Amino acid sequence: MGPRLATMAWRNLWRNKRRTLLTLASITFGTFLSVMFTAMQDRNFADMIDYAARLGGGHVTLQHPEYQDTPTLTRSIDHVDQLIALAQADPGVTKAVARVQGQAMVSTAAQSTGGFFLAFDPTAEDEDSLQLIQGLVAGRWFDGPDDKAVLLGRTLADNLEAELDDKVVYTVIDKHGEIAAGMGRLWGEVGTGAPSADGSFVMLPIDRVRESLGYGPTEATEVAIFLRDARKAPAVRDRLAGQLPASVVALTWDQVQPELSGFIAMKVGGARFMELVIMVLVAASIFNTLFVSVMERMREFGILIAIGYSPGQLFRLILWESAWLGLVGVALGALLTSPVYLYLVAHPIDVGAMTAGENMEVAGVGMPPLLRIGIFPENLALIGVFVVGATVLAGLYPAWRAGRVEPVEAINLV
Amino acid sequence: MTVTSSPVLQLEQVTRTYRQGEVDVHALRGLDLSVGSGEFTAMVGPSGSGKTTALNLAGALDVPTSGRVLLEGTDLASLAAHQRSRIRRDRIGFIFQAYNLIPVMSAFENAASVLALQGVSEAEQRDRVMPLLAELGIEQLAHRRPDQLSGGQQQRVAIARAIAAKPAIVLADEPTANVDSTTAERLLDVMERLNQHHGVTFLFSTHDDRVVAHARRVVTLMDGRVHHDDVRA
Repeated sequence: MGPRLATMAWRNLWRNKRRTLLTLASITFGTFLSVMFTAMQDRNFADMIDYAARLGGGHVTLQHPEYQDTPTLTRSIDHVDQLIALAQADPGVTKAVARVQGQAMVSTAAQSTGGFFLAFDPTAEDEDSLQLIQGLVAGRWFDGPDDKAVLLGRTLADNLEAELDDKVVYTVIDKHGEIAAGMGRLWGEVGTGAPSADGSFVMLPIDRVRESLGYGPTEATEVAIFLRDARKAPAVRDRLAGQLPASVVALTWDQVQPELSGFIAMKVGGARFMELVIMVLVAASIFNTLFVSVMERMREFGILIAIGYSPGQLFRLILWESAWLGLVGVALGALLTSPVYLYLVAHPIDVGAMTAGENMEVAGVGMPPLLRIGIFPENLALIGVFVVGATVLAGLYPAWRAGRVEPVEAINLV
Repeated sequence: MTVTSSPVLQLEQVTRTYRQGEVDVHALRGLDLSVGSGEFTAMVGPSGSGKTTALNLAGALDVPTSGRVLLEGTDLASLAAHQRSRIRRDRIGFIFQAYNLIPVMSAFENAASVLALQGVSEAEQRDRVMPLLAELGIEQLAHRRPDQLSGGQQQRVAIARAIAAKPAIVLADEPTANVDSTTAERLLDVMERLNQHHGVTFLFSTHDDRVVAHARRVVTLMDGRVHHDDVRA
């Protein structure tokens, strides 16, 4: 039986095995680089966003409409229990908790300094909502929301010369704009992974802070909402926005933390550019292979035209050859990438060991000490489509040349 | 000439001028030639006499500068490119000097390639091509690729490819030029048999006296025109 174009194209690829294998090697390696590069970024940025959300207002934040521009404790929201119930009814939400965040002056008997406090209900939070990179580095955790206790960032504790069980006084501007103070014993020290945050971070039980601020029992500065997938934040925000009272707005993590969002957008943009460069190099290699191969076979194309092939069939024949290169390249890329990828998923890279234990931070968020990898399925699919697309695109001109063959000249009968 | 019931191919006052650099080359200068169904005709003449140009025009690979080339009454120059592709596929068979089989296809696939292009089912391709290969004495080589065949065997496959789709005419450009004399005689015997038993019309462009000896009509070209037309009994 006469072979179809796809079969002919496949066989044509193997007429020059070395050239085809070299081209496949470049596609395979390009696929490997793109997948690994994207996998590092996807997981690492997702981790950073999760850490930022846990230390801040969640993936989606419900807060007073003016709090984002003027974050004072006078701009609170009430009936947070109802808002939490509303949020938890959304299918994308894993957890919703009330928090109070604000500025405070923190003092011990020895020192006094400005700080940033996060007040929460320790019985309502867990690792999904509140997880610090280094966690509790000394002392113990809160037992309940009305403990008379304080946790300090490790550097802040050092600066205040505070020892465990020392008295710590925090002074805030209350709901009515008056100075108010609260006191607790230092129960522990925490490490956020971000050096700047460790020098100013104060954790407090929420009911004690409500009492100091004059807040009611269902009042807070925000409801922090946590999602299974941070990328769904805009959709969850939009769903919730229609059900909220006018005194409450819903914001996504990137609206609340524009510095981190900008950093990630910049890094993702850079990564996309690098991937584009890789794709262009891969496409150039394919173009070279196909173009040389087509020019070598012009006589053969003339013969094919003579026996009845149409220019369109020759065009499709070459496109099939490029598509085969792309498909086989992607398949080989998957074979090469899978074991490395799976190994790194199981054995994340210890960045801390590379930075001699120094913590790094971006926009006040600590970089995760373990560089995990994990690619979003849609990005994986996109890379596959891009590689095959680039190969087919690279084959367009050679295919066009093949289709434009002048049989009389090609066969050299004149 | 065995049958002259209706002309398969007619070239009427055909001229073909090529531009080579600053010079016009007049390859054909008013060629008149008619080939009837079932003919076994050799076109001879010195280099530059216009044989190959005439074959290109007859094969719808080229269009004349003036005049008309009619295949089964259809003016080839009036057809669009895709229509000429279809005419070549369905009504014209080519045999080239250098065999020009498709290297990635087996002998069978090469022979069946035109049928495949026509959309003939695989079973029918087999039913039509295998007896042909048997008649050409290469049935047992059907699965081999061209680089596993001798020159003579390759040319037999090329002949099978040219006639498998039952074309109106087979155009053969120096089909014996690349084979030894024994093989050339065998190939000519095969083509003559196909002509006589199956009525396949052949038009050769050749310098080979052996082809001329087998031909029943010899058309001599000179300076792009028919110089002599010898029809043998």
